Amino acid sequence: MECVVQGIIETQHVEALQILLQGLCGAPKERIRVHELCLKSGPNLGVVPSEVRLLCDLAQPTPSWTVRHVGGSMRGAGAEQISVLVRTVVESKVGNNALRFFYALGYKLDHELLKIGFAFRFQKGAPITITVTSANKMPRLHATDEAVPVTPGIQLVEITAPAAADNYNDVASAVSSFCEYLAPLLHLSKPGVSTGIVPTAAAAAASLLSNSGGKTI
Amino acid sequence: MPVKWLMHWQPHAGATVSSQILAEVCQCVEGFGGATKEGRWRTTLTFYRPMARDPSSNAATGSNPGDLPRDFLGLALHDRPDAYFFILRHNRLILQAEANVQLLMDKLQSYKARVVLHFEGFQYRLGDFQLRVGKCVPSMAETLRGIMMEVEYLPLSSIEKSRQIMENFFDIWQETLAKKSLPGRFIIDDPNLNFMDYGLHDQYTPQHTALQYATCIAQLMAAVRS
Repeated sequence: MECVVQGIIETQHVEALQILLQGLCGAPKERIRVHELCLKSGPNLGVVPSEVRLLCDLAQPTPSWTVRHVGGSMRGAGAEQISVLVRTVVESKVGNNALRFFYALGYKLDHELLKIGFAFRFQKGAPITITVTSANKMPRLHATDEAVPVTPGIQLVEITAPAAADNYNDVASAVSSFCEYLAPLLHLSKPGVSTGIVPTAAAAAASLLSNSGGKTI
Repeated sequence: MPVKWLMHWQPHAGATVSSQILAEVCQCVEGFGGATKEGRWRTTLTFYRPMARDPSSNAATGSNPGDLPRDFLGLALHDRPDAYFFILRHNRLILQAEANVQLLMDKLQSYKARVVLHFEGFQYRLGDFQLRVGKCVPSMAETLRGIMMEVEYLPLSSIEKSRQIMENFFDIWQETLAKKSLPGRFIIDDPNLNFMDYGLHDQYTPQHTALQYATCIAQLMAAVRS
């Protein structure tokens, strides 16, 4: 289970966001370069149609693979009242023949993306991960070297924190509190609820950049 | 990782496996000079079968293996509790994953764990060898489906380099067991060809063990059928 919120930011303000996160976090950023393959169950396979994601971490010297399943989000009045999405997620590290395995099981490639960006991880009431990535599509199958941005000039910001049935309220509060730090630069909301870019972003970014002396981190 | 050989009990024609045979085999191991009993072990093998949206389709019956695999195996090895192994025999494919991948498979609802078998028994230490004698039983019943052994030679992880010593051990073991006049004998599958088919090499890994269990269950099922 995890708590998650998402938002978007113009690429021109990403450097300012990075400065802000660096200041809040203290730890160095991690580079993200992930080849994400979204697989969907073939016709008639499974009680219900299913979707699984294979993530190949290309930022490591030796690429490593993870399989990820995102389940349904929490519903009901309680879920409506909190400002983050609570959903089930199962992730498992797998061998590098996982794609062949899922093809053999009857899963088909729906789409693939190359996500490039950075992440910060830190403890602030809960172990919070914030990722800032651009999504890139490939003109040819698996041609990650030829990937081009899906939304030029816009990057996705995602904040996640692991949660459990007995603590998701606390984790949701920790994530919400953290979002407030970023409010001048971007709005974060439940996935699927688009809030667009914020009008104060340019001024906030200029302020952050001037305070940092324009140093690139 | 130390090299391991799996062997299964092949009853003589007309004979059946029984708990008595298992007890006698354990006695034999304990009768080896210096063998010490170290505790219990359990490996779990699961047959996954496809679940179809339309129950009348071929996918549910497995009569159309060209489309979907009729079944595949999942293995939780006693000495690798953090890992899980899937084996698709038709595709000569073995996938290693973290143990929680079983939860992910449940969430997908595309394949269901239909039959779960336990291989379980006692573990012994005999010098540089670790021996595990076990029975194969369904998870929800006590019906004995077979008897098997794991023989692990701790100093070596090369299959080729350990071959001679494993063969010598096997010969001594057969001679010891022959004195009991039991209605059957242990058989070693020669899985080297299988290892190479699955892209596995000379250096022994848990994937080799998983594959040997897949071979072992196939042999045990064949023995039951015959």
